Amino acid sequence: MTERNAFKTAELMKEMMARYYAAGKESISKGIPVAWVTAVFPVEIIYAAGLFPYYPENFGAVAAARKVADRLSAVAEARGYAHDLCGYARCGIGDAYATEHPIGEILKPDVLFCCNTQCGSLLKWFEVAGRFYKAPFFLLDAPQVGFETDGLCKRYFVEQLHELIEFIEKLTGNRFDYDRLSAVLALSNEACRLWNEILETAALKPAPFGFFDACFHMAPIVTWRGTAEAVDYYRALKEEVEERIEKGIHAIPGERYKIYFDHIPCWPKLRWFSELFASHGALVAVSQYTHSWAYSFDLEHPLESLAESYTHEFVNRCFDYRVQRKINFMQKYGIDGFVLFSNRSCKPNAFGLYDKRRLISERTGLPGVVFEADMSDLRFFSEAQVLAKLDPFFEQLSSD
Amino acid sequence: MHTADLIEPFASAVKDPAGPVRQWKAARGGKAVGFLLTDVPEEMIHAAGFFPFGITGGSIGLEKTDAHLQTWACSYARSCLALALGGELDFLDGLIIPQSCDTTRMLPGIWSHVSPLPYLDHFRLPRQVDRPSARRYLIAELERLQKGLEQFSGRPIEQDHLKRSIVLYNRNRALFRALFDLHAQDPSLISNRDLYTLIRGAMVMPRERVNGLLAALVGELKGRLKAEGEAEHLRLVLSGTLLEPVETLDFIDEWGGAVVGDDLQNGCRYIEADVPEAGGTLEALADRQLNRIPSAAYDIQKRPRRGFLADLAREKRAQGVIFLHLKFCEPENFDYYDNLQAMEKAGVPAMRIETQFGGASLGQLRTRVHAFLEMIGGEGR
Repeated sequence: MTERNAFKTAELMKEMMARYYAAGKESISKGIPVAWVTAVFPVEIIYAAGLFPYYPENFGAVAAARKVADRLSAVAEARGYAHDLCGYARCGIGDAYATEHPIGEILKPDVLFCCNTQCGSLLKWFEVAGRFYKAPFFLLDAPQVGFETDGLCKRYFVEQLHELIEFIEKLTGNRFDYDRLSAVLALSNEACRLWNEILETAALKPAPFGFFDACFHMAPIVTWRGTAEAVDYYRALKEEVEERIEKGIHAIPGERYKIYFDHIPCWPKLRWFSELFASHGALVAVSQYTHSWAYSFDLEHPLESLAESYTHEFVNRCFDYRVQRKINFMQKYGIDGFVLFSNRSCKPNAFGLYDKRRLISERTGLPGVVFEADMSDLRFFSEAQVLAKLDPFFEQLSSD
Repeated sequence: MHTADLIEPFASAVKDPAGPVRQWKAARGGKAVGFLLTDVPEEMIHAAGFFPFGITGGSIGLEKTDAHLQTWACSYARSCLALALGGELDFLDGLIIPQSCDTTRMLPGIWSHVSPLPYLDHFRLPRQVDRPSARRYLIAELERLQKGLEQFSGRPIEQDHLKRSIVLYNRNRALFRALFDLHAQDPSLISNRDLYTLIRGAMVMPRERVNGLLAALVGELKGRLKAEGEAEHLRLVLSGTLLEPVETLDFIDEWGGAVVGDDLQNGCRYIEADVPEAGGTLEALADRQLNRIPSAAYDIQKRPRRGFLADLAREKRAQGVIFLHLKFCEPENFDYYDNLQAMEKAGVPAMRIETQFGGASLGQLRTRVHAFLEMIGGEGR
């Protein structure tokens, strides 16, 4: 994603993000409850209930990308929050206590909804925030799902969705509208379908679109999934990607290799990483991260379908399932090597990567490497250390 | 028998945790199933005919895990894996890892590849305990766990056996609570170090033997309790995930302080909350788990941890709270600030000690503990 290669649709993103933040502020004046939600939460329920969903993780990612994560973290750390906590959480907690808000103030919640499919850090962060803002907190609990699914987690989750709906009905005083849920789910399906068709163009050789593009364009699938805006956005993006295929515009010049990358990017160094890979003719083509939002809901069985989609997400699956899923991606996208990011802020993704690297190389014969850094905090980033891992990897790629 | 003789088997089990289980296996020819502390139904392992072995962590060889688990992972998890990699758990035939945080969520997968066992299960606990769905799910998960144990042993767990194991463990917890009360009334009866040594030792000893020794000890100490009531001593509450390093207790003993309550996995959280003896066994085991005292992994909305700690300090008339935190324990680190605020509000002085398995600087720790005890009004001995 070099400057020269920037997507036109990026302008639409800026407009839409501005509209989204304005809508948040407007919600407050209209008395619409602001509901904090996590990225992998059945937000379809929140949209259907007419609440305004706000994504504090997105706040964390923006703070990280604008390189102010350390400043916001420092405020949290001064209160005794340790620097080894999730970087997004430190940004959120820091901003709550901060007097200066370098990326604008985080939107205060009237209610907090957390799903722990992704991790336990979000659960703890939302608990802290619930106390700080004196707002009710609701956890949708997703115990880990094994290699084979046994239905336990799904059954538990369906029951909790009923509890959630009851909770929201009490909060708003309105009966939950299942017809509206159906309409929202249909919009989610459409946005997910378009998003995944776009992601899949990275398998073309050379490809018009890669992981770093996906990182730039993923905000709508995370935050507006379930709205017509998300569908419009990805329709526009898909058209542009198709136009690029026709015109022969590629994600990187002279694509020689395709790389699998795990998982969240190092946001403050996104440009640095994308240029580093591009300089070696390596297109980072796929990551399980950007493929997280690939839902296809069954409108006939909305709650069961939501439960299955949100609990069976890769991040909530066991070690062996995740190894196999990475290998599947590598095969589907014709990958030449893989890079795994041991992200200090994300224990459920980082822990296990050392052995996964070994197992994947044994099973696929592909070269792979693990590097250490943090997705948001530059205090845990050393260019020299990252290069010491990646340079030999690039050499290995070119010698194979 | 005298107090020291009754404590000695526990102290020797702490020194050589493999001793009792090896002896048991040699005599009985049975199998041992380990578990990480402490959100597992030990009663079920026991009823299946296995030796339940609590892995209490170690302090050496943590670098063996560097190739498998990041150096910034919880040192308890690292130390347990290090024990396995170093062959120090080679008597284990099986292992249950309760998933109560992101580290224990990821550990079973790593463990299964680097130190494979014939039986390895991840007990997937619910993380909310306030709504009815949690209980129903937990019962189903316990049923799944039971089936796995039955498959491994090759025979069903008889209801009668499980009920007997429940009674045995309830008795054990009652004895421990009695000892804790005696200690809180007069720490000169049994020191802090000895009290927690009993709990730690019990995790690796046959429970039948543990109960016999503890019953004798309770009798012995009750006889020595002074009639005129409580002795004067400095009263403390400990809060954290695991009690580490145990020398912390020596430093409190040296100063004449008494730990009168805690929320530690290898402390009161282990001995509080019994399994109901009436009704269905799985329901009963679920109810115990749901009624355990709150921790960073289970912050119960009906019984928030901060309120629990403030109440505990008040009820036990604690003069101070020591937060004993394992470095890199994310749930604990998220809770700390609000816990501290709750203590300030309750007017209880608090101190935080960050520690880890295999890397505590004892001299510094001693100085800090003593300085805190002096500050809150301890005379010192």
